[in-house]
Amino acid sequence: MSGDEIEEVDEAEGRRSIGEILREQVVAAGRALIFPAVALAIALLVGVVVILITGNSVIEAYAALLRGGFGSRQALGRTISNATPLIFTGLAVAIPFRGGLFNIGGEGQLFIGAIAGVWIGLTMPGPGPLVAFVAIIVAGLAGWIWGAIPGLLKIWGAHEVITTIMLNFIGINLTFWLAKNPLSGEGAVPGTGFVPEGVRLTRLGGGLGAAHYGFVLGIVAAIVAYILIWRTTKGYELRTVGQAPGAARYAGMSVAANSFLAIALGGMFAGLGGGLESLGTFGKVSVPFISNLGFNGIGVALLGRNHPAGVVLGAIFFGGLAAGAQQMQFSTGVPLDLADVLLAIVLLFVTATKLVEYLLGRRARTFAAGTRLEKGLAG
Amino acid sequence: MLEMRGVTKAFGSTVANDSIDLELRKGEIHGLLGENGAGKSTLVKILYGLYKADEGEIYIDGEPAGITTPSDAVDRGIGMVHQHFMLVPTLSVAENVVLGAEPGQGPRLDIAAAERAVRDLSERYGLRVDPTANVGHLSVGVQQRVEVLKTLYRDARILVLDEPTAVLTPQETDELFTVLRGFVDEGLSIILITHKLGELLGVSDRITVIRDGKVVDTVVTSETDEAELARLMVGREVVLQVAKEDVEAGDVRMEASDLIVDGASGEAVSGVGLEIRSGEILGVAGVDGNGQVELAEALAGVRQPRSGRIELAGEDVTALDSAAMRARGLAYVPEDRGGKGLVGEFTLAENFVLKTYRRSMFSKIGWLLRNAIRAFARRRIDAFDVRPPNPQASAASLSGGNQQKVIVARELAGEPDVLIANQPTRGVDVGAIEFIHGQLLEQRERGAAILLISLELDEIRQLADRIAVMYDGRIVGEIDAADATDEQLGLWMAGRGGPDEDQPTGDDRVRS
Repeated sequence: MSGDEIEEVDEAEGRRSIGEILREQVVAAGRALIFPAVALAIALLVGVVVILITGNSVIEAYAALLRGGFGSRQALGRTISNATPLIFTGLAVAIPFRGGLFNIGGEGQLFIGAIAGVWIGLTMPGPGPLVAFVAIIVAGLAGWIWGAIPGLLKIWGAHEVITTIMLNFIGINLTFWLAKNPLSGEGAVPGTGFVPEGVRLTRLGGGLGAAHYGFVLGIVAAIVAYILIWRTTKGYELRTVGQAPGAARYAGMSVAANSFLAIALGGMFAGLGGGLESLGTFGKVSVPFISNLGFNGIGVALLGRNHPAGVVLGAIFFGGLAAGAQQMQFSTGVPLDLADVLLAIVLLFVTATKLVEYLLGRRARTFAAGTRLEKGLAG
Repeated sequence: MLEMRGVTKAFGSTVANDSIDLELRKGEIHGLLGENGAGKSTLVKILYGLYKADEGEIYIDGEPAGITTPSDAVDRGIGMVHQHFMLVPTLSVAENVVLGAEPGQGPRLDIAAAERAVRDLSERYGLRVDPTANVGHLSVGVQQRVEVLKTLYRDARILVLDEPTAVLTPQETDELFTVLRGFVDEGLSIILITHKLGELLGVSDRITVIRDGKVVDTVVTSETDEAELARLMVGREVVLQVAKEDVEAGDVRMEASDLIVDGASGEAVSGVGLEIRSGEILGVAGVDGNGQVELAEALAGVRQPRSGRIELAGEDVTALDSAAMRARGLAYVPEDRGGKGLVGEFTLAENFVLKTYRRSMFSKIGWLLRNAIRAFARRRIDAFDVRPPNPQASAASLSGGNQQKVIVARELAGEPDVLIANQPTRGVDVGAIEFIHGQLLEQRERGAAILLISLELDEIRQLADRIAVMYDGRIVGEIDAADATDEQLGLWMAGRGGPDEDQPTGDDRVRS
């Protein structure tokens, strides 16, 4: 059978100059940053009102906020420490989103990963680094499984938003039960025992406090995610399924298999984040455990426009704001909650694309593309 | 009656309407002619209060109309029949007609009064409709009558119809035009929007031609002809008749028998058989929604048929998916550019390998070879004159015509043996239509077997060697293009006059 020989092409024809690529990247980055920037500006303006109501100096409060997030090595350490799990839970939302699914299950996936990592850390014999390595892998696998369940249910017709929310309850409570019963440790705080010191992740040092190498792994994870999504045939399929399922079917790609893969991958990243958090920051899973990291991942992904680089920046922003708010409360008396208010407003405006389009004029419409929620919910 | 003066509307940097003047006289049918994207729809949306003009005024009976919302437009006596109907399928005809202006007191709906009003109107204007019928069960042509009745019920004096014939058979079109002439005799005025020039010559009094958002000319219908209108519309001489070489049909390249295919709502194709030969174009005519999409998808491997058999050069390919069909030399241009043929947010380069990204020239061990993909895209873009000629541009940023060129360029790469093209020129400009028609004929001369599905009867009659007509999931008639008449095809399209009209058998096999 003839009729399908596509003429060979010279790869060199398709090569582009560094200048062209750079220009394109700068334009793309500018477009990506416009929405969060406008949203932040509006949020800070609203914050002014809130601070004035509390009877504090706006300049002092904002200066403290900035200082607390990025002003010193300790501050930076806290920011990085906060940001580390958020990179993973952000990716846990961003990657399924690229595949057309909305993963609300980051919280449950993170808990399952955290407990799985601690389980290995507590029970596996052998040299610390090896145990830590295996523990992190197992944490990722556990998250993968927790993400694969809604992936399977999706193929059978259940909407992933519903199933991931339900699996959050199951995951969180299963984790607590495991931490209090089979894996329960001694001590006043209920939860598992501490994993051996050799298994815990090394701290970055350099005065950065509790920040550990999980942050570096987060950056690596973001790079891997980027490569997977934009440089491989699998990622190409995943994006096609996410953006035009009709075109995917037309091209002979499996919508079901790629949807499954997308959300299972998301679960894996959340699980990794949970494992790094339990093995690195805490050394155990306590009851109650760190909460809302999974849900904040949704915000991080939205802020980062579902792009791995954006997720890293978004996580650092979230982490910095949380760290800065403590400093602000300590030195000015503006309540900690202001940080939450600011975050909420930023997210409101980042998602209210129509409003920002209106503020920026019509040209902003193209900038909004990556931020639209409807797309993820439509599946 | 109605006057639009200097109406200007810009979307970002594109000017959709540039200082347009339009004058509608009482008791005339005024044709508004232009290519897709010329600005016709924008203009009537401004008239109907859906868009706000940047500049310009609208006068009705010499007074400023002051229309800012559709309800203002209705109050001023403007009625609009949209291309896509705005009907509630679960309600009756009468309920649909009065919706939003119900008779009765307070919350009570006087359905008897509504039905009486609808019956009066339909008798007065010769629009035969049963007011108690459920709209969801009516044919498209009758649904259109309901839309017209809606405007009449609201005392419209100016009726705007946006591409009303797109969904009609030739006979239904004639019927509609007779009704419209009746309206004019009753003193109504009509704006008729279309991109089909032939239609306007028969029915309109005057024609305003729009190109690139500007009025090119307003002509008196009786003093013009098709060639002049085409030239005004496109801005250059247009070859209306395509030159078709004589090509001897060769071997059967693709064969389907007893195909039954399910659509979104039940069986869509009910036992179709056909053969496509090398060097011929088999045209499939029919009104939209009679199973054409499902047939094309089944043949192309996108949709698995429930039963039946598909052969490609003698090989049973019924169970293969679209990528496997592509690898066997089958190209497929789908009817829905935005949703199926392209991924809007992808670059052109990414779109060019939608089906072939797994080939070793475009990827190695799962790794996309982006330079090779881009180089391939650049070549195809040059060969098909896609604009802008930038492989990094997003598909969504292109005009409809250029998007369609990208799809055709992709599908024709590698000289396919069989080409299935479903509405390949829908919603594209005349330049792109000429180009795509030329490509189809070139492939035919090269010896490809082509299945051309189209809702435009003219297109089928120009290009096809044989014409089959689809109605209700079956092929109800088949004829040599040379022997075909609009009347015969129209009857088939309406489901009448088929060879086995009363007892459709399972074997509506078309043979040459």
